[in-house]
Parts: sequence; C-alpha cells; structure tokens
Amino acid sequence: MTPPSVPPTPPTPLAPARPRLARALLRLFAVQGSYNYERMLGLGVGVAEEPLLRDLGDGKYRPAVARGAHFFNAHPYLIGLAVGAAARAEYEGAAPDQVERLREALCGPLGSLGDRLVWAGGLPFLSGLALAGVALGAGWIAVGAFLVVFNIGHVALRWWALKAGWTHGRRVSVALHNPALQKAGAVLGPAMAFAVGAALPLTAAYLSGPFYSWARVALAIVAALGFLALRLRGDRLNGLRLSLGLAAVALVVGVIWQ
Amino acid sequence: MILPIELLIALLVWGTLVGVDLVSLPQMMIARPLVAGTVAGAILGDIPTGLKLGVVFELLQYDILPVGAVRYPEYGPATVAAVATAHASAGVLGLGLGALVGFVTGLFGGVTINLLRRVNSRIIHAAAAQLETGDPSVLVRVHVGGILRDALRAALVTVVGLTLAWLARPLLGSALTVRGAMLLAVAAVAAALAAGAAGTLRLVGRGPNLAWFAAGLGGGIAATIWLR
Repeated sequence: MTPPSVPPTPPTPLAPARPRLARALLRLFAVQGSYNYERMLGLGVGVAEEPLLRDLGDGKYRPAVARGAHFFNAHPYLIGLAVGAAARAEYEGAAPDQVERLREALCGPLGSLGDRLVWAGGLPFLSGLALAGVALGAGWIAVGAFLVVFNIGHVALRWWALKAGWTHGRRVSVALHNPALQKAGAVLGPAMAFAVGAALPLTAAYLSGPFYSWARVALAIVAALGFLALRLRGDRLNGLRLSLGLAAVALVVGVIWQ
Repeated sequence: MILPIELLIALLVWGTLVGVDLVSLPQMMIARPLVAGTVAGAILGDIPTGLKLGVVFELLQYDILPVGAVRYPEYGPATVAAVATAHASAGVLGLGLGALVGFVTGLFGGVTINLLRRVNSRIIHAAAAQLETGDPSVLVRVHVGGILRDALRAALVTVVGLTLAWLARPLLGSALTVRGAMLLAVAAVAAALAAGAAGTLRLVGRGPNLAWFAAGLGGGIAATIWLR
C-alpha cells in the first residue's frame, strides 16, 4: 500500500520569531519606497521579505532574497499576503518556479481586492465623512478622526495580511476568501457612495459661503458644465486640466472685466 | 507672502513629509489634502484657511484612482503651498490664488513623480546583476536610495510651491479686482466640485451603489437647505 502523500518536512524552523514578523511589517510600510517601472514594487517586497528568510540555509537564503525582489505589483496594504506566503513557500522547500508562479498569481487578486477595499471603499468613505464633518463645522476634529480611524484599519489590514500570508503559504487563496473581506467589500461600496454623495452639497455650501449671490449662480453653472465635460471627455480631460483651464479663463476675464 | 523663517522651515518639512507619505513611506494618508491643508493651516495659526483649501483639493483627489502605474498630480505639497498663499491673502482672493498655486504645484509634483520612477528604473536596471546575487545589503541600499530620492523630490516640490506662493500675491493679487478674485475662486471651487462628483461616479459605477450615491446626494441637499 502506498503511504498517503505528506508535505515535505520543512528543512528549517517554520515559526519566525515575532520580532522578525514585526520587522517585516515595519518594512512593509515602505514597500513602495523604490517604486519604478521595471520591477514596480518588487524591491520593496524583497526588502520586506528578507527578515523572514534569515533562517533558511546558506544555499537558499540569497536566491530567495533575490527572487523576493523580482517584479511585483499589487495593493500596498495587502502585499503582506504575498510576502508571508512567498517566505513560507521558501521554507517549505517549494521549487523556485513555484514561488515565482505564486507571486505572479497574487498580483492581480491582491491589486483588485485592495483597490476595491481601500482606494474605492474605506478611504473615500472616511474622506467623505470627514468632508461632511468639516462642512458641518466639526473643523480639525473631523480631520483628526479621519486620520485615526483610517490608520487603525490600515495597520490592522497590513498586519492581518502578513500573518495570513505566513499562515497559509501556498494556500493563501484561502485568506483571500475570508468572509470578513467579502463582507467589508459589500458594505464599503454603498457606504462610500452615500457618504461622498452627502458630502458634495455640504462642501459646496461650505466653500461658497463667502461668495456673492451672482457668484453662487456662476458656481452652479460652471460646476455642472465641468462635471459634464469630465463625464463626456474623461479620456482627455481630468480634474487638474479642468481646474487649470477654468482658472486661466477666470484670470483673463477677471483682468478684462474690471 | 513674507513668513518668518521658522514657519517656512516648518512648512517645508511638513510638505516633504506629506510628499513622501503619498507613495514611499508610510502611506498613512497625511498626504490627503484635507490633512495636509489642516496641519499647514495649524502651522500658520490659520486652521480655517487650511481646512478650506484642504476641502478644495480633497475633492480634486476623488478624480484620482492610484491603480497600477497610473500617472496623477500630487495634491499634498500642493495643498501646503495653497494654504501658504491663501494665508497671505484674505477671503475669496486667498481661496482663488491659493487654489491656482496649488494646481500648478500639483501638476509639477505629478511630473516629478513620473521622473523619479524613471530614474529609479534606470538605477535598478543598472544594479540588476548585484540584486540577483541576493545580497541583502545591496537590496536595502537601492531601496533606501529610492526613499531618499523621493524625500528630495518632495522637498523640491514644496520649495517650488512655496516660491509660487511668495510670487502669487504681488504678481496676480494686485491685478485682480474683487470681482476678478471672486471669479477665480468660483473657477477653483467649481472645478473641485465637478472633479469630486465625476470621480466619485466613476467609482460608484452604474450598479446598485448609484442608488446609494443618489440617496446621499439627496440627504446632503436636504441637510444644506435645512441648515440655511
């Protein structure tokens, strides 16, 4: 009878000391420090992974560090999943091409999940609440609350990602299907839409407070036209170009219309 | 704008920290214009101006979704420069001039980010053979070099922004009447609102979240009318 297949015995201890995980976490905060068009975040990932690889044998440590610094791109807050999973795979004796494939496979999902959860979810949601708070007179307290609440979630997400990556290794997709992540994604989308929707008229009233009545009418018309222009010509026009264009027109008209 | 040297240094340090936070370290969102503007206002002892310019540029920030290698303007140090400009010119003139300085600084900041990434690419390409040896000291050195270059870049953008702030009042402030200043402020706020609305709708899409956006918009309009 053939014995059941078992995973290969790890050649080295599989539990990095907590300080090493903490060091990797600290380095993850600078994961985009050498952002470039050749390896994207690869170098930062290699730097963050390096403390977790120190218990690998002499012949394995340097090749693993070099692999860690290859091309990688994903959402910075979730990169810990890839860092932990790749380091774990190295400890489990995975072949180099398996580690490379694992990294490649994680780029897309980590990018899209992070973009949905953070860039298009939690961040604009909290920013919308802060904008509404400022417009309603909460002042710097709304800004301080935004910063504190956002960073509680930010640090927690980075730490969870690193630990989950290390725990699951090559089976890291299990972590990506965590029900909490799915639920957060489902809640943050509508919450973001509602919060920013509510913030827009409140901030319009807040910013136009010192305007004359004719200027408020002009503001409504120009904002509506600008919005239409951005919706219809979003391929060529962006917020900054619109701002610079409108400011240039306003300067010329303002100088002529004395 | 003539500010005491200690305030200029504080603004420069803050602008640099804000610029580094955007991408390199630690992405804790002090680069968000609302935060950058409020702290710049606090440095100048003028939080209301910081909040106002922070709100303008925060709305513009909704136009940006930093996915992949997309290029975007940099509104953090731009907001610091905008607040410094607005602090020197009271009322709507400050709002309009500050926003204008911020727009130009934001554009410049975006160009420098792209340039820095190209420089990083060349340096990393040149160090490829060393990196392939797996020597951690080489890896850390190249990576830390990127962070330091970003800090220099952020400081440069802030210096340019503060220089524009210094020039804005004598060059443009005196050429504008109250009506002209009002027009400039209208243009800045209108662009920010348009960008905020268009950017949010791009995130929201045409799915069920659109109804939530409409509900929020309705609630915000109702609250605005009620508060008046």
